[in-house]
Order: sequence, then structure tokens, then C-alpha cells
Amino acid sequence: MSVDSKSKDAIIKINNFRMDFGSKTVIKDLSFEVLRGEVFGFLGSNGSGKTTTIRALLGIYQPTAGSLLVDGKVFSVSSGIRLGYLPEERGLYKKETVIDIMVYFGQLKGLSKREARSQADAYLKRVNLLDKANTKIDKLSGGQQQKIQLGITIMNSPELLILDEPTKGFDPVNRRLLMDIIEEHQKNGTTVIFVTHQMEEVERLCDRALLLKDGKAYAYGSIKNIKSKFDGASLDDIFLKVYGDENKEVGGEL
Amino acid sequence: MYNLGTVFRFEVIRSLKKKSFWIMSLAFPLLIGALFAVVYFSNQATDKAANDTKNQKFSLVVTDESGLVDKQLLQQFDASESSDKQASIDNVTKGNVDAYFYYPKTIADKSVEIYAKDVGLFDDGRYEAVAKALLQGSVSMTVDADKTAVLQDRVSFGTTTYKDGAKFDGIQQAIIPGVFLVLFYIVIAMFGNQMLVSTTEEKENRVTEMILTTIQAKTLIIGKILSLVSLAMIQIVIILIPILLAYILMHDQLSLPGLDLTSLPIDPIRIAIGAIIFSLSFLLFTGLLVAIGAIAPTAKEAGSFFGVVAVLLFGPLYAASLFISAPDSPIVRFLTLFPLTAPIPLLLRNAIGNLSLVDLVLGVIILATSAVLVMLIAVRLFRYGVLEYSRRMSLKEIFRR
Repeated sequence: MSVDSKSKDAIIKINNFRMDFGSKTVIKDLSFEVLRGEVFGFLGSNGSGKTTTIRALLGIYQPTAGSLLVDGKVFSVSSGIRLGYLPEERGLYKKETVIDIMVYFGQLKGLSKREARSQADAYLKRVNLLDKANTKIDKLSGGQQQKIQLGITIMNSPELLILDEPTKGFDPVNRRLLMDIIEEHQKNGTTVIFVTHQMEEVERLCDRALLLKDGKAYAYGSIKNIKSKFDGASLDDIFLKVYGDENKEVGGEL
Repeated sequence: MYNLGTVFRFEVIRSLKKKSFWIMSLAFPLLIGALFAVVYFSNQATDKAANDTKNQKFSLVVTDESGLVDKQLLQQFDASESSDKQASIDNVTKGNVDAYFYYPKTIADKSVEIYAKDVGLFDDGRYEAVAKALLQGSVSMTVDADKTAVLQDRVSFGTTTYKDGAKFDGIQQAIIPGVFLVLFYIVIAMFGNQMLVSTTEEKENRVTEMILTTIQAKTLIIGKILSLVSLAMIQIVIILIPILLAYILMHDQLSLPGLDLTSLPIDPIRIAIGAIIFSLSFLLFTGLLVAIGAIAPTAKEAGSFFGVVAVLLFGPLYAASLFISAPDSPIVRFLTLFPLTAPIPLLLRNAIGNLSLVDLVLGVIILATSAVLVMLIAVRLFRYGVLEYSRRMSLKEIFRR
């Protein structure tokens, strides 16, 4: 597997990453880079190790071997990277009000209370939820909660935005909002890692991508290069070709 | 510890905003207040009723075979004498006379018999009261006041003990170091469950990953612990203020004993040891609660584990008399030196002053080592255990990560 990117532009460098859980190896030997300012698609079927890789990158898991660097350093909350992370498993403190939660996370991300309040108000106004600022989270609809989660993710203008299965459970309105947010951040130079198996969105938004299979990079590079490797097939078809057998083995679900 | 203040403020303020916090905080003093009020008004009503009863006149016939009852006293009660027991009982049965007392020849081994007209459950007590008053009043006329006091167990005693050439009061000495024991009990009993709920909250709300990529796990845990300690202090103050006010304002009405805090002896060494044992014990059990909360998927499931911890923690209280009477027995030493049971024996024995130097040093070392180890393990469990949202993780799985 060759790394076809310029190291000097890489914000994320993962080299020979291996992850074992007991006797089970989830990631065998993974190396790739994400360039500063690009939208990068991190693709794979369910259980292929995408979330494990992201968790190891963000220091939630300790890797068994290899190095995972963000801006040249092992990520920690004190490493100075402005991170926006929307995890696959997500939720909010249900008994707190929208504004309290947003201000709290804003402060944890390094904003002053006033700045956090100001950014929260601006976002709530944008998504027409300003009148819900003092409503408790559990009184909001599922779609409204998703908007709040997105708002928290992008507080303090992240320089690295990691979205793990971001459209999972999203209604069309919030999916549109998410796409707008990704495009806006891309224009502002934010690096976006888009962890998904929604090929349509990858094809539209991503500059480059990696297909993870059996704990290794199966295909990696620009979208154009990946397609050419599969005789110009669409990403949807490529996904079916790469993971189709695997899904049949586990019951044929995709 | 970047962001510790933010976590602390968030946790304290949101707890103070909860109705349940104020209900819990105010329920105890309100219940105590209500209890005092019931006791006070009940006592007043009983005293009044007793006085009323005592002053009620009723017709009385007496047979005194013991020879103890004074004739003049009988006259004061307008009682007449009779030598026919059965006829007197018949008179009561027919309603010709209200009461008949029969004093047997030997009252030491036979009961005084009372036959009387029923005047209600409470008022029926007046007959026995008068029968007793007649007897006691009669006998006390023949015995001097001091002997009467001895016989009636009304003599008071004052004991002064000495240790190392100075006055020493063991009970008073134990009061201030004993405060740590009470404090530990209150904090764990009142806040153990809240700690579990607080630790499982991120998991139950699925907010763990967002939190752990924003602040360090140990910052979050320490912030939570500090907030709970502060809330415990607030709650204790809320509980103490009405109790102190009730004591000051209703001291005389409730016949409460006098409390002179200025006379309490202060032993700085025992107080310092108590503070150290309290701090280490608190750290150990907080770590255990964090660990339980991290492994269990929900607060409800974590609660069942807390039951086991509570038994280990408070179980030694049942052996409290043993800690006083046999401090060197193997069972006492085992409970003192086994980390999970050590807090209560160490705090109690330190308060009463029978904690040997060897047990103190060993106990503190064991407690400190256990507390640090448990806290380190708890942070690791929290980091990895809280990512498992729907199932309980085994320790083996967590340490593999």
C-alpha cells in the first residue's frame, strides 16, 4: 500500500496501525494520510473498523501498534487542535436545557461563556431553534436534537471535523443542513473526515477516500483514481463489489 | 486539570436547579421538625390529660392487708375502707362505687388488685396512678428523703477519670474525632447513589465520546467528585440550620439537654488522623463507585452493585461494641486492615482512642494504597467502560484495550 499524498500537507498521518481486542484483530496494518483542508471519505461496511480507527486516532483507544498523529502529535484534549467530532453513538444530557448544554460544550472547547453563548444563539437562530433555547433536550423532537448535536460539533470553528456516520438517523432537512455545514467548513479550510457507507454523499463531497476491508486499506486515493481502479464504476457499485460478498456471509444485509 | 472549573460549575449548578435536590435536602429537616412538633404537642396534651385525670374525683373503697397505706392519706382521697373484698368488687360491678383497691398482705410478691368502672382507655390509667400514689406517699412518710431517693433510683453520680496525670473524659474526647465517622456515613449514604447516577449519566445519555474528546476522563471524574462533595456540604448545612434553630428556639419547651461546646476537649493528633482516614476512605469508595458506574450499563444495574459495597462498608457498624471491648481481637484487626471494611473500624477506633500505632500505620498505608489503585483503575474503567452503552463489560475486556 503506497501513500499517494504529500506528507508536508497532511494533518493526519496513520502508519502501520494495528488494533487487537484480545485475540481478535480488528485493524491489521493500516496506513493513510488526510490532507489539510480536504474532505476525506473513510469508507467501509459495518464492523470494518472505521469507528475503532477514529477512536484510536482521538486517543479514546490505545492502539496495539503503529502511530496515529494529528498535526504531528498524538491527539489529546490538551494538544491544541480545535476538533469537532460527531460520534456514531451520540446523545446529549437529556435533562438540561439547549442553551446550557451548548454553552457548556462551548466552554469545554475553549470559548469564554460569553463567546459560547453568542455562538449558540447564532446557530440556534440559523436553524430556527432560538425559541427552544431554554427547553430541555428531552422535550425536543429527534430532528431538533440532531440539529443541536451538529451545532455543538461545530462550536469554536473546528480545524478538524470528524463526522462518524453523520447522516445515520437524520431526516432529509437535517441531512441538507449537514451537507451545507460541510461545504461551508470546507470553504473555510477545515479538514473534514467523513466516515460513512453512503456513497452518493462521498461522491459529491469528498476529494479523496479510503475503503477499509479486513482491517486493511483496500483502496485509497482520489475519488477519480479509485473509480479508475474499478473501470470507472460508480462508488455505489464499487462498494457492492468490495463488500457484497462480506455482507452475504453475514446474512446478505447491506 | 484544564476545564475542571467548568465541569465543577456545570455539575453543581444543574444539581441545584433540580427539584429532587431540594426535595431531598428539605425533606429530612422537615421530617425532623414535624417529629419534634408531634412529640412536643403530644407531650403537652399528655401532661394536660394526666393532670386533668389526677384531679378528677372518684368514689373509692380500699382494703389494706399490707398495713402500708396511711389512713390520713386515704381521707385526703375521700376513700372509705372495707374488709369484705368480694362485696366491694360487687359494688364496683353494680356501679355503686367507682373503684376498689385491694392491697395484699405481701406486696413484694403479689399484685395490688384494682377493680374499677371503665372510663376510657386513657382515663382508666388514673386508678393505677392513685393506687401507686397512695402507696408511695404512705411509705415515704416513714422513710427519710435520702433513703427514698436511693429506693427510687434518683441518685445522680459524677465520675472524674485521670490519664497521664490529667483529667480525661473518654466520651467527650471521642466527640470531635467521631464527627469524621458521622460525616463519612452521611456522605456515602446520601451521595453514594448520586455518584453512581452521575457516572452512568454520560453512558446513558450516549454523550461519552463527545465528552472524552473534549476533556480528560480524570478531569471529568474529579469535577464530578468535587461537585458532589460541595453538594453534600450544602445539603448538610441545609439539614443542620433548622435543627440548630429548633435547638436554640425550642430548647426549653422540648426539655433538651444543655450543650456546652466550649468544654469539649480538642486532641489535634486524633482529629488530624480522623481527617486523613476520612479523606482516604472517601477517595477509596468514590473510586469504587466510579468503577461500578463505568462497568454497569445503567444506573439501575449499578445500584445493585452498590448494595454489596454498602454491606462491606457499613457492616462493621454491627460489631461496634467489639471495637470498644476487644480492640486486639483477630476479627477487629481483620476488619480494621481489610481495605473495603477498614473505614468504619479505623474512624471509630480512632475516635474512642483504642487504635494502636501498628494498626493505625498499617491501616492508613493499606487504605492509601487501595484508594490510589482503585482510583487509577476507575479512571481506566471509565475511559473504556463508558463506551459500552448497552452491556456490562468484564474487567478482562477493559484491561485488554
